[in-house]
Amino acid sequence: MLSIKDLYVKIGDKEILSGVNLEVKPGEIHAIMGPNGSGKSTLAAVLAGRETFTVTQGSAVFMGKDLFELAPEERARMGLFLGFQYPVEIPGLTNVNFMKAAVNEQRKYQDLPLLTSGEFLKLMREKMAIVKMDPSFVGRGVNVGFSGGEKKRNEIFQMAMLEPKLAFLDETDSGLDVDALRVVARGVNKLKTKENAFVVITHYQRLLDYIVPDMVHVLYKGRIVKTAGKELALEVETKGYDHIIN
Amino acid sequence: MPEVRRVFRCTVPNENIRQVFLVDGILQEEENERNGIVLQRGTNQMGLKLHISGDHSQEPIQVISVRNEDLPRPLEFSNRWELAPGAVAQIIVCDHTMQEYLYKTFRYSQIKVGDGAHLDILFMQNEHHRSNYRLDIDAQLNELSGLDCHILSLYGGVIQNTLHVNMQRPGAVCNLDGLYLADGEQEVLYDITVRHDSPGCDSRQLFKGILDNHARASFDGTIHVAPGAQKTEAYQANHNLLLTHDARITTKPQLEIYADDVKCSHGATIGRLDELELFYLRSRGIPLAEARMLQQMAFVQDVLDRVRNDAIRSRLERMVESRLRGEFTKCSHCTMHCC
Repeated sequence: MLSIKDLYVKIGDKEILSGVNLEVKPGEIHAIMGPNGSGKSTLAAVLAGRETFTVTQGSAVFMGKDLFELAPEERARMGLFLGFQYPVEIPGLTNVNFMKAAVNEQRKYQDLPLLTSGEFLKLMREKMAIVKMDPSFVGRGVNVGFSGGEKKRNEIFQMAMLEPKLAFLDETDSGLDVDALRVVARGVNKLKTKENAFVVITHYQRLLDYIVPDMVHVLYKGRIVKTAGKELALEVETKGYDHIIN
Repeated sequence: MPEVRRVFRCTVPNENIRQVFLVDGILQEEENERNGIVLQRGTNQMGLKLHISGDHSQEPIQVISVRNEDLPRPLEFSNRWELAPGAVAQIIVCDHTMQEYLYKTFRYSQIKVGDGAHLDILFMQNEHHRSNYRLDIDAQLNELSGLDCHILSLYGGVIQNTLHVNMQRPGAVCNLDGLYLADGEQEVLYDITVRHDSPGCDSRQLFKGILDNHARASFDGTIHVAPGAQKTEAYQANHNLLLTHDARITTKPQLEIYADDVKCSHGATIGRLDELELFYLRSRGIPLAEARMLQQMAFVQDVLDRVRNDAIRSRLERMVESRLRGEFTKCSHCTMHCC
């Protein structure tokens, strides 16, 4: 599904990723852990198409296509999703209009008829229930005046609306209390199928109690230095990164 | 003039709407008086005078004013809008050109809002890229009166709007807002003076512009608070979005305050579309052009929200959207690009 080979990425003159290799197959959940500044968010953002980064070497192939040849929206329509660490506020644009535009674009791409207003609202209500969004959410500005928890739930809601094949969740757990964490995790588990895959970027083992990964990677100074099963997360939690890196 | 009536089949969605036509400044109906509304020709038989008494909040008046001459000469005429004490009125003024000549039109608009009266007036400026359009609004607000004035500049070669609002009696409230969308070589010029001459009056101004290509705009806004106009609340905001490096805006907000117990503020910004917002939208599968359009619609939404009539507001939203998409701002059932 996704194959990253020897990926080098720079921002300005600074190298952030220095030879990342990663294979993700349908039905898998991967966790990427690592200390601050190790390049976790950069990896997710560069795959989603953020233009502030420069790919200097390596490749990323998603569903048989070279990701770096595609615009961010083309990647999204092929089924790649990025759950933002800091979801963006857009005053003046309502959640409903935002999602209507996104879902319609996706349906155009898939050659499906556009949804009527009624069908769309029904779909929206269904997906809002998954993350327990308040009904007033529909008409509010995108992430405007949202609490940290609401913003993260909004990311999961958008993911539920778009049903991606592969979702990168960038520190979706940070800043969440236990209840919000459970809501987010339940959302992910509900959306998981044999055909799709998730890459969860996190600092803490806590989230992985609720979303159980098949594989855990430790990213350090722009490289994946260790890959193992879910027990690696526990090891990080108890012994710290230094122990693993050394 | 049946021809113009036929072309302008549009009605703002309200069955009680009354349409009044002005062609090249000439009123297209006999002077009359109906339900407390006196309609007369203006000075030198040009323009119009409307004197309104009573509550007409549910019966908006649409004044459709078009230029249609084959040999266009500069035209100047004056419209007077007078509200008797306690009257309530909603007026939509749609200014158009029927042909793409180099029309030059100077429209005076004199507004007088009587004690306790309220006027909601919307100016739609939808001419064409070679027209020269000038609107001078001179408004006087009396005791406890209210004025909501919206100006939507969609098309015009040069659009020049001058607003003078005089809060001459205590307790008046005035909301002024405007939206200007200019591209190509278009130019929009604003000159606004709001005078607080009496105590306890509120004024709120919100003006926003989106400039594309080589468009130019300037915004001069002054709030003047006279000595003794205590408990004044006066706010002014002018925000601009430049879509290209060649678009230019000059904005000069000014406060002149000669009273000490007042709340006043002004602010002006000039910016570009936010890159991170754009990435967020695109990362959800929305193509670049559409994402930029959504950002622009989001930017202008709070100005449109100040139009309280839902039916008119949603029509304006559609027109602004089609304008930003570069489509002709036509309604589905009308052959002209008007409201």
